[in-house]
Amino acid sequence: MSAAARNDAVGARGRLGRLLAVIRAGLRSNFGLAVLKHRLFKEKKDRWLVPLFALAAAGVLPTLYGIVLLIQSAYLLLKPMGQERALLGAGFLAAQLLILLLGIYYVISAFYFSRDLETLIPLPLRPSEVMLSKFTIIMVNEYLTVAAIVLPVVITYGVMAKEGVGFWVNAVLVYAALPIVPLAVVSVLVVAMMRFINVSRKKDVLILVGSILLIALVLALQIGFGRTAGPGGPEASAKAVAAYFTSPDSLLNRIGSKFPPSVWATKAVAGGFSGAGLANLALLLGSSLALFAGIVVLAEKLFYRGLVGLGETTGKKRRLTSDEMSRRVSSGRRAVAAVFTREWRIMNRTPIFLLNGVLVVIIVPVIFVLMATMGSGKGGSGGGSDLTSILETMTSSNPLFVILAAALFMTLCGSLNGTSSSTFSREGVQFWISRVIPVAPREQAAAKFLHSYLISMLGVVTASVVAAIVLHLKAVHLAAAAVLALMMGVLLTAVGMIIDLARPLLDWTNPQKAIKQNLNVLLAMLADIGILTAAFFAVKGLVRTKLAPNAVLAVLFLGLAALAGLSYRLLLRFADKRYPEIDS
Amino acid sequence: MPVIELTNVSKSYNRGKVKAVDDLNLTVKPGEIFGFLGPNGAGKTTTIKMIVGLLRPDVGRVAVDGFDVAKDPLKAKQVTTYVPDSPAVYERLTGLEYLNFIGDVYGVPKAERLERIGKWLDVFELASVVTNPIQSYSHGMKQKIVVTAALLPGPRVMILDEPLVGLDPRAAHQLKEMFREHCDEGKTLFFSTHVMEVAEKLCDRIGIIHKGRLIACGTMDELQALDRTEHSLEEIFLELTDK
Repeated sequence: MSAAARNDAVGARGRLGRLLAVIRAGLRSNFGLAVLKHRLFKEKKDRWLVPLFALAAAGVLPTLYGIVLLIQSAYLLLKPMGQERALLGAGFLAAQLLILLLGIYYVISAFYFSRDLETLIPLPLRPSEVMLSKFTIIMVNEYLTVAAIVLPVVITYGVMAKEGVGFWVNAVLVYAALPIVPLAVVSVLVVAMMRFINVSRKKDVLILVGSILLIALVLALQIGFGRTAGPGGPEASAKAVAAYFTSPDSLLNRIGSKFPPSVWATKAVAGGFSGAGLANLALLLGSSLALFAGIVVLAEKLFYRGLVGLGETTGKKRRLTSDEMSRRVSSGRRAVAAVFTREWRIMNRTPIFLLNGVLVVIIVPVIFVLMATMGSGKGGSGGGSDLTSILETMTSSNPLFVILAAALFMTLCGSLNGTSSSTFSREGVQFWISRVIPVAPREQAAAKFLHSYLISMLGVVTASVVAAIVLHLKAVHLAAAAVLALMMGVLLTAVGMIIDLARPLLDWTNPQKAIKQNLNVLLAMLADIGILTAAFFAVKGLVRTKLAPNAVLAVLFLGLAALAGLSYRLLLRFADKRYPEIDS
Repeated sequence: MPVIELTNVSKSYNRGKVKAVDDLNLTVKPGEIFGFLGPNGAGKTTTIKMIVGLLRPDVGRVAVDGFDVAKDPLKAKQVTTYVPDSPAVYERLTGLEYLNFIGDVYGVPKAERLERIGKWLDVFELASVVTNPIQSYSHGMKQKIVVTAALLPGPRVMILDEPLVGLDPRAAHQLKEMFREHCDEGKTLFFSTHVMEVAEKLCDRIGIIHKGRLIACGTMDELQALDRTEHSLEEIFLELTDK
C-alpha cells in the first residue's frame, strides 16, 4: 500500500470515528440517559415517575390487545382474497407518512433550532457530519414513534402467517431502513427551503409559511391515498370490483401506488429470502442508501449556508422620539394582564410553539373537513363520504347523541394540543424571572390558564364552524355542544397545566423539546383520554337511567362545571405550593 | 435595621451530601455596597439565590427589608431586583416590551418609567435598539437590558451576581457609577465578583465566603486589621482562601 493510500485509509477511519463521536454525543445529550440516571439514582428525584409509567404501560395494554385483535380479523378477511399483504403495506405506508409529517417539525427544529449547533459549527467537523448527527437523532425518534404502528402489524402478520426466518430478518432490516426515504425527502425540502429563507429578513414568517406549505403537501398526499385506497368507489361495477380482488396484491399495489417504498418494504418482508423478497429488499435499501448519499452531498453544499446566521436577527437602529417613547411605554397593566401578554407574544413569535399550539387547533378541524369533503367528490371512495354519512345517520337519530358527539369533537379539536401541558416548560431557562417578580404564583398560573384556555376556545370555535358546515348541525345543538366543550376545556386545561407544573422541563436547548418532545404533553394527553373515557361511562350510566335528554345534558353540565371549578382552584393552590420548589 | 439579614442559613445539595452554604450569618445595612467574594463553587450564587427567593435554605432565615423571604415572599420581592450571572431573558420580546413587562409587574407609575427608561437606555447606549427583539442583542447588550430592568422599579435592594462579566470597559464604568448613585439614595446593593480591584475600590464592606462558610467580613480596613498587614484585597483573599 502506498503512503498516500495509507493516509487516505487512516483519514477515512478518522472521519468515521469523528462522525460516530458526534452522533454518540448528540444521542446522549438528546435522550438524556445520563441526566435521567443522575436524577433517579443520585438525586433520587423523579422516582414517582417509575410507577406512573408502569401504570401508563398497563393502561395501554388493553388498547394494544384490541389493535392486535383488529389486525387478526383484518388478516382473516383479506387472506381468502389473496390481499393479506395489503395489511403490511398499509402499516408501512401509515408509518412512512407519519414520518413524513412529523419529520417536518423534527427536521426544522433539529437542523436549525437546536442550540448545540453553536457549539458544533466551530468544531473541525464537516457540515455533512453535523447534519448526519442530527439526522440520526431524528431517526431514533422516528423508530420509537412508528414502533406503535409497525410492530403490532408486522408481528401479528408474521405469527398468523407462520412466517420463517427470512420474514423476520428482512423485517428487522426494513424497520431499520423505513425512516430513511421519507426523512431524506423532508430533509431535502427543508434544507432547500432554509437556504432560500436565510437570504430574507423575515425568517420566522417564512419558516412558518414554508412549514404550513410542507404540511399541506403531505396532507394532500395522504388525501390522495385515501382516494385511491378503495377498489373504485360506490359507482364501480361489481365486475370491476371482482376483477380487482381476483388479482393478488392489487390492493397492496393500489395502496402503495403513490409511495412505492412502502410496497417494496411489504414485498421484502413478506417475500423473505425468496428472489422477489431479496429484490425488493435491495430496492428499498438501495434507494435509501442513494437518498442518504444525496443528503450528504446536499449537506456539504447547502446546510451551513441556510444555517449560519439563522439565529442572528438584524434590527434597524433607530431612536424613538419622546412622543413615540411616551406612547410605547405602557401606563401600567395589571400583573395578570402583563403575564398573559408575555405568554401570548412568546408563543406566537416562536415558530415551533406556534406550529404546535395555535396552528394545531386550526389545522385539525380543517383536516377533518378535507377528509369529509374529499371523499364525497366524484370518483372518490375514501373514508370521507362514509364518515360524513355515518356521522349524519348516527346523529340524526337522537339529538342527545348529536350534541355529545359534537361536544367530543370540539373538545378534541380544542384540547389535544400541547399549549397547556407545556406552559411552564416553555419558559425554559427564563423561569427565574417568574420566580423573582413580585407576582403571586396563583396570579401567574391564572394568566397562563387564560392563555391556554383561549387557544382551546379557538379550537372549539373552529370545530363549531366545521360541525355547522360539514355536519349541518342545528344552531341549538351546536350551542349546547359548545357549552359542554368549553366546560370540559377548563378541566382539561387545568389538568394539563397541573401535570406540567409537577415536573416542568426547563433545561431544554431546542424549543422542540419543550413542546413536541415533552413527556408532560404525552402524559396530559393520556390523562385527557382517561377523563374523556370516564365522562363517556358517566353519560352511558345516565342514559341507562332513562332520564330525559335535557336532564342528561343538565346533569353532565353541572358535573363538568363542578369539576372545572375544582380543577381550577386546585391549579391555583398547586401553583402556590410548587413555584418556590422549582429550581431555576 | 439591616436590609439584608441571613441568620444561621445552610443549604446542601444531593440530599445533604454536598454542603453549599454552611451556617451563614450576614447582615447588610441600608445605603451599603456589599461585595461578596469567594473562589468558584464557594457558595456565592447559592447564597444570592436564597436572598432573592430562587432557592430555599434547608435551615435558617433570610430576610430582606424586614420581610422573611420564605414567609412573606411577595413583600420581599417587591423591594428587591436581581441580575443573574447569565442574562437569560425573553429573546422573542423587544427590549422595550421586556422593560414594560417588568414595569407592569412591579407597578411602576408611567412618569417614573419614562424617566428611568430614558435615562438608563441613554447611559447604556441601548436607545437605538430598544424596539428590536432581544435575540438580536449581543451578550453585553442583554446584560445591560437586564440591569436596566433591575433599575426600573427603583428597588430598595439590588442583588447582582457577577454583573461586570461580559461588559465593555465603558459599560462597566457606567455600572460602577450607577452603584454609587444608587446607594447614595440610601438604597442597598449586594453583588458578587471576582474582580478584586472593583470590590476594593467600590465596596463599603466585603464578605469572603469559602467552602460555604463566611471566613471574613468587614470594611477594607477591618480586613487588613484581621490580616495585620497593609496587604491588598487580592493578597488577603488568596491568603484566606488558601487555608
